[in-house]
Amino acid sequence: MNNKLVINFVPGPTPVHKLAGSTKMLIFLLFTAAIIATFDIRVIAALMIVPIIAIISMRPNYKPLIVLLSVMLVTTGVIGSIMLLIVSPDTGFSHVGGSTIIWQASEKLFITRETLWYLLVTMTKRVASFLTVMMFALATTPSEFASGLAFLHMPYKVCTIVSLAYRTIPDIASKFIDIRNSMQMRGVELSKKASVGKRLKATGQLLIPLIMSSFGRVESIANAMDLRGYGRLKTRTWYAEHELTNLDKILRIAAIFFGAAILFYIVYFRIINPYPAEMWCPFIAKEDIIAKSQFEDIFFLKWFNK
Amino acid sequence: MKEPAIVFKDFSFQYRVQHEPTLHDINLTIYKGEKVLILGSSGSGKSTLANCINGLIPFSHHGTMTGSVTVMGQETRESSIYGLSKTVGTVLQDSDAQFVGLSVAEDIAFAMENEAKPRREMVPIVEEHAATVGMSDFLGAVPFNLSGGQKQKVAIAGVLGSNVNILIFDEPLAALDPQMGNTAVELIDDLARDKERTIIIIEHRLEDVLHRNVDRIVLMADGRIAADMTPDELLKSDLLQKHGIREPLYVTAMKYAGCELEGTENLGDINTIRFTDEAKGKLMRFFTEESEPMPENTADEVVGFDHVTYEYDAGKPVVRDASFSIKRGERIAVIGKNGAGKSTAAKLICGVARPKSGTVRIDGQDAKSLSIKEIGERVGYVMQNPNQMIIKDTIKKEVEYALTIREMPQDTIREKATAALNACSLYSMRNWPVDTVSYGQKKRITVASILVLEPDVLILDEPSAGQDYKSYTEIMKFINVLNREYGKTILFITHDMHLALENTERAIVFSDGEVIADDKVFAVLANDDIISRANLKQTSLYTLAKHLCLEPEQVTRRFIAHEREASKA
Repeated sequence: MNNKLVINFVPGPTPVHKLAGSTKMLIFLLFTAAIIATFDIRVIAALMIVPIIAIISMRPNYKPLIVLLSVMLVTTGVIGSIMLLIVSPDTGFSHVGGSTIIWQASEKLFITRETLWYLLVTMTKRVASFLTVMMFALATTPSEFASGLAFLHMPYKVCTIVSLAYRTIPDIASKFIDIRNSMQMRGVELSKKASVGKRLKATGQLLIPLIMSSFGRVESIANAMDLRGYGRLKTRTWYAEHELTNLDKILRIAAIFFGAAILFYIVYFRIINPYPAEMWCPFIAKEDIIAKSQFEDIFFLKWFNK
Repeated sequence: MKEPAIVFKDFSFQYRVQHEPTLHDINLTIYKGEKVLILGSSGSGKSTLANCINGLIPFSHHGTMTGSVTVMGQETRESSIYGLSKTVGTVLQDSDAQFVGLSVAEDIAFAMENEAKPRREMVPIVEEHAATVGMSDFLGAVPFNLSGGQKQKVAIAGVLGSNVNILIFDEPLAALDPQMGNTAVELIDDLARDKERTIIIIEHRLEDVLHRNVDRIVLMADGRIAADMTPDELLKSDLLQKHGIREPLYVTAMKYAGCELEGTENLGDINTIRFTDEAKGKLMRFFTEESEPMPENTADEVVGFDHVTYEYDAGKPVVRDASFSIKRGERIAVIGKNGAGKSTAAKLICGVARPKSGTVRIDGQDAKSLSIKEIGERVGYVMQNPNQMIIKDTIKKEVEYALTIREMPQDTIREKATAALNACSLYSMRNWPVDTVSYGQKKRITVASILVLEPDVLILDEPSAGQDYKSYTEIMKFINVLNREYGKTILFITHDMHLALENTERAIVFSDGEVIADDKVFAVLANDDIISRANLKQTSLYTLAKHLCLEPEQVTRRFIAHEREASKA
């Protein structure tokens, strides 16, 4: 079961796995905030170092990771980039502050160096956030995730919903396969012989027995929880939230500095000494940047102006 | 003087959604340290009775209560579900649903988490409770890797709070294979050793519970207490047949032999039973009588396995080099513990799984060339839980479904559906909505919806699971009609020894993916080695044979032969 779905149910053996759920949650949130805050490719590249080291240290099964990464790169990366180049080829101008055409087919269809740079930066950002999410997903068991949410002062019923959902995913998946098999034996065509529409409709019908047979369980689960005093108190503790290890303590102190650094970075580079364009770009000197509001370039606004 | 733990006085209960009370005039006292079995068929009110003790009634399931119930001197309605959970621990029937934590330790800690106990206080208690049920080595294990029996142990550990001295087990044997069921009964008995603990077991499988002694049996029927006596007294009475409870096999055997039960000592325990000389003589005479040998089946083959191997993950075959041949019109039990490969063998027959090596033959043809849909017209598979199969809203539509998707002409559909509905005695109900019928009837609907395709072979997965004796007997009677009158070949995938004994001629036994036996049912059931390798359980006929110093095979064969003659008459 482990690692087939990237979801870990059993706590792993490596130091990163052994961190407390709350520490993992904290680091995840800080990295996410940092990646959102910056468009500087040098900073983004630096931010990728920790997730990469963490992922390698956990010795994961790389196959599903590579599959997920390629799916993401193809859908949002390649397809998204081509669409952008067709619809709004001068996007780079508003983000980077220059426009150097390197190839032109017509008045509306051209490629600028700055747009390519913009695409590269956004792609790097996506990869960085992917690595951060994977670092968190690989390291965290669902109960640690729930206790991490509790650490962030989420109401504990929300946390329980999350962990119960994880608890039932494998059960539901295997039940679904059983139902599908029995339907195929009755003659429902779910193989590639049937058209996509027909297959979708047939798969939809499989949900009826899946839902009906799950209803009975809901009552049993509710009874089991009631009988063990769930929901009586306003607070609750988590067995999965174990005592902090030394690494936890070190990382929490590091996290405070890291949080401060992010805050400083935002305040300094955005407010006190703002860079004239959104993105740093090696091809354009700072003085040459033409500052421009990003909103001027949104393509459909142009049609209204005319 | 015995101290009462639970006292029902003139108690009745009616669920808010029902027109009739579920429990009537209950007067019952259970004393501290007692081990009581509450026996009854489905709908007899036995689970409702338990829920009145643990507080699910009236706090979670609402309704009208009259009279009084006290638990350790406290009127339940003045307590709360939480207050009661401090003294009453309940292990639910569905130990899988009861497992809410994501690991064994977390699930055991669940009640303490809800009390907001700090983690360092939880750890030693979790370890202690895990040790009590023998799960210390599995603290980090996830539910998906545990067997039914292990999940149940975790469920027990999860309700063993510091002051819990009343334990309720709601159908503890329902989801377990025979050997695990034995282990569960033994574990419950160990817990009952502690004289502070009061144990209440809710079950309809009398013989399995009697694997260990109980102090008292309360027989429920139609919401009333029909009997409250010791196991010996109950077995000697005729109350069991009257209320649809299966009596232990050895008791049936004694009746077949014409024994008087009255003088028998320790009738409730096959291991220490003491027959009168007269009874012993009658039993000896009965079992040494020669019975007619069963006719050999010489029909042609419908399903054949030839050195079939199958694996989900490379290098770990779930079915290994399996070969057998099933003849037309046979009734066969495919038995073995969970995960032994019996379900996978069924999948291989149905074409949902395809062999890695070897061949599966259907009607003499290599199944490789047949699609799942084509195999489905020759082999029908009925799942264990009918709710997982039904997708239409009325019985008729459900039964016609397989024909409708094959786009057959209306006349043909009507004709075939009528035949299938008649075979399953559902014709008069054909326009009923599916969700208004009972579990047993739903099972019948699923069989009908498979029968419309006129398959030669029917595979039934655990047909006795989730049903009481009465509805089980009805289903089996109906399946046997399909076999006798319609010539269907029947394969039961089961670990119910009674079912195999009474309804099949041959047994194919799986263990760790291999076929370890393929022989006459009585020969398999009398073979010690096979029984223990397959995680099965000796029927009480085996122990009976030992008492009489007879060959178990002879005893089992004679019993089956007599039973078949009796059912023919």
